[in-house]
Amino acid sequence: MLEVRDVLKTYDGRAVVNRVSFDVRPGEVFALLGPNGAGKTTLIRMITDILRPDAGTVRLEGRAIDASVKHLIGYLPEERGLYRRSKVLELLEYFGRLKGMTPEAARVAATALLARVDLSEWAAKQTQALSKGMQQKVQLCTALIGEPRLLILDEPFTGLDPINVQLFEEILAERRAAGATVLLSTHQMNKVEEVCDRALMINHGTVVLYGTVRELRRQYADHAVVVRTERMVDALPGVKTVAGANGDWKLTLEPQATPESVLRALLDRGVAIESFALATLPLEDIFVKVVREGVGLDQGASRAPAVQEPVTAGGAR
Amino acid sequence: MTLSFPRVLTVARREFLTAIRRKAFFLMLVGLPAYIVVVTTIAGRAEEKERAQVLKELSTLGVVDSSGLFAGAPREIQTDVSTTDMAAPGPGRGAMPAIPMRSFTTKVLFYPDQRAAEAALRAKDVSQVLVVPADYLQQGRVRRYARGSSLFSSADRRAIAAWLAGGLVQGHVAPEVAARVAKPAQHEALYTMNRRGEFELKDDRRELVDFMLPFMFTFLLGMCIVLSGQYLLQGLAEEKENRILESLMCMVSAEELMTGKLLGLGAVGLFVMLVWVGGGLAIMGPTLAILQAVPPPSLIVLALVYFVFAYLFFGSIMTGIGAVTNNMREAQQFSVMFSFANFIPILLLSIILARPSSPIAVGLSLFPPTAAPTMLMRMSAAGAVVPPWQIALSLALLAGTATLTLFAGARVFRVALLMYGKTPNLPEILRWARQG
Repeated sequence: MLEVRDVLKTYDGRAVVNRVSFDVRPGEVFALLGPNGAGKTTLIRMITDILRPDAGTVRLEGRAIDASVKHLIGYLPEERGLYRRSKVLELLEYFGRLKGMTPEAARVAATALLARVDLSEWAAKQTQALSKGMQQKVQLCTALIGEPRLLILDEPFTGLDPINVQLFEEILAERRAAGATVLLSTHQMNKVEEVCDRALMINHGTVVLYGTVRELRRQYADHAVVVRTERMVDALPGVKTVAGANGDWKLTLEPQATPESVLRALLDRGVAIESFALATLPLEDIFVKVVREGVGLDQGASRAPAVQEPVTAGGAR
Repeated sequence: MTLSFPRVLTVARREFLTAIRRKAFFLMLVGLPAYIVVVTTIAGRAEEKERAQVLKELSTLGVVDSSGLFAGAPREIQTDVSTTDMAAPGPGRGAMPAIPMRSFTTKVLFYPDQRAAEAALRAKDVSQVLVVPADYLQQGRVRRYARGSSLFSSADRRAIAAWLAGGLVQGHVAPEVAARVAKPAQHEALYTMNRRGEFELKDDRRELVDFMLPFMFTFLLGMCIVLSGQYLLQGLAEEKENRILESLMCMVSAEELMTGKLLGLGAVGLFVMLVWVGGGLAIMGPTLAILQAVPPPSLIVLALVYFVFAYLFFGSIMTGIGAVTNNMREAQQFSVMFSFANFIPILLLSIILARPSSPIAVGLSLFPPTAAPTMLMRMSAAGAVVPPWQIALSLALLAGTATLTLFAGARVFRVALLMYGKTPNLPEILRWARQG
């Protein structure tokens, strides 16, 4: 669906995005992660053809990214805004027409989208009359109009109340069911765990994590298991330490021990187990670990020099 | 650079409709010409009224004649002044309208000495006192006393000067000669050569038309260019402040956005020009036809050509400024000096109209930032003949510069559009313009 190969972007001789490669598969929800100033916005701008890479290629459905495929992309930037004096429906029609829709088709699509986000009665109002949350829904509609094959959402949940977060998630699921691919950039790691299939994390313009969310969590898991039981026993073979309280126990394993051997030992000792799981780290902890400790895929040689993204729209993240 | 024409047209259409739907646009479209007409009319009427008021107040002139030269001078001063009622139709089809005249009479009272005359002035028995010393013939000095004086009219001075001239020869020559000395060219008719090489009468009205036509042409062109440029600037500043550009640029390229804006807002400038010219012709058409003040079609066509190139030149600069600045205040600070260039010819109007082929007029009409208004001012100046090579060179220079600024502006626009924060310095902007 989306192929990014060896993409490089430099400003004043400094690499802001340094030889980044990844694929996004059709129909998946893909997370683009990274700390503030990591180069995410620059990368997204190259995917959306707002910026041209200095080297490397970006292809969408097998075609090089240029003006001819722009209509296949819907983009909700983090730094977003609307024409304040435009009427809501007219604004959406304008965006639809820019995506190559006929006036009639744009009007029908805009009307349907407004109905979907419960804003039909605001269609004839100026956008400045809308609340911030409503404006955010209109902004989502500007990205959705034209039914883009690739939907890029940059911090879509920021500032939304729980009801609207749920609405956004439902719409995301609908788009996915309709065959669209979603590229989600967010700092809300719980959302990544909830909705994303795979993730890419960049730091200083370089890829530091790349894989399925499950794989990443396993990769950074401690060699430990989490057991829920009323009673924990001492001196289990293969267990280095036991910590916990109130029925939740974390068992750190000896290097040679496996979760299966520990489970068997617990059952042999007659422990009634309510739940047994690998002790994986939440994605948020992995994020902090990778950024703070500098661990990841590209330690050392391929690490780009310390760079700061220029102060641009959405750049100061 | 490949442009999608439908996308460009979509942007242009939106820019055009957004601009003309604004209340401020309608107010400007109707209000500005109305304002100019009202102010010009009030100013003209006020000047005329002031002149009449000065002559009306000079109902009695006290004279102390120590020279004895004016003993036989007339005891009345008759002053006729023309009014400038342009709307008054003339007698007969196609004829020049008659100029309405108004007469004022001033009585002349002689006093034996200055003290008596001053007392009469203080008692308001006379409006002014004229003291003619004994050595007037040798020195030419007179003294005039009044309770006040008008800052804006010297009609009283001219009336008294005419009385002095007539009085000097009164009794020495035939009365009709004395009267003619007082008003040697009371009904002067000046004939000047028109564009067809024919001599035609140039009266006060003709003079006014000769001034107004180039002025209005220059003003109109300058206003339309500046107006379109300002809308361009305002739109971009709003888009930057509203942070909508990133969403837009995901769908259109910077070049498509810039071209669409230039087209849409250029159309706004043309629309304003058409409405103002059309409205002006509809209201003033018959009078302008009588005065032969309707500009020739070739001049109108040339004005449109100049508008297109001048607008592209200024519009490209404005898009560049809009892209590198962060808000409207900053953008206006940068743009004001470029907008001002359009009005330089109006500041130099008297020089350009008096000498349309002077080096300064030719120079300004070749210099791209001032070429369009200056050339049109020169071409619409009464009797002026601009050599075709100067028009061709002026257009070529303007078109060449407009093309360069268009490409440079597009490069700056593309690079700077999504930059916020620090405004780039001139070397940075020049580097973007060169390299894109």
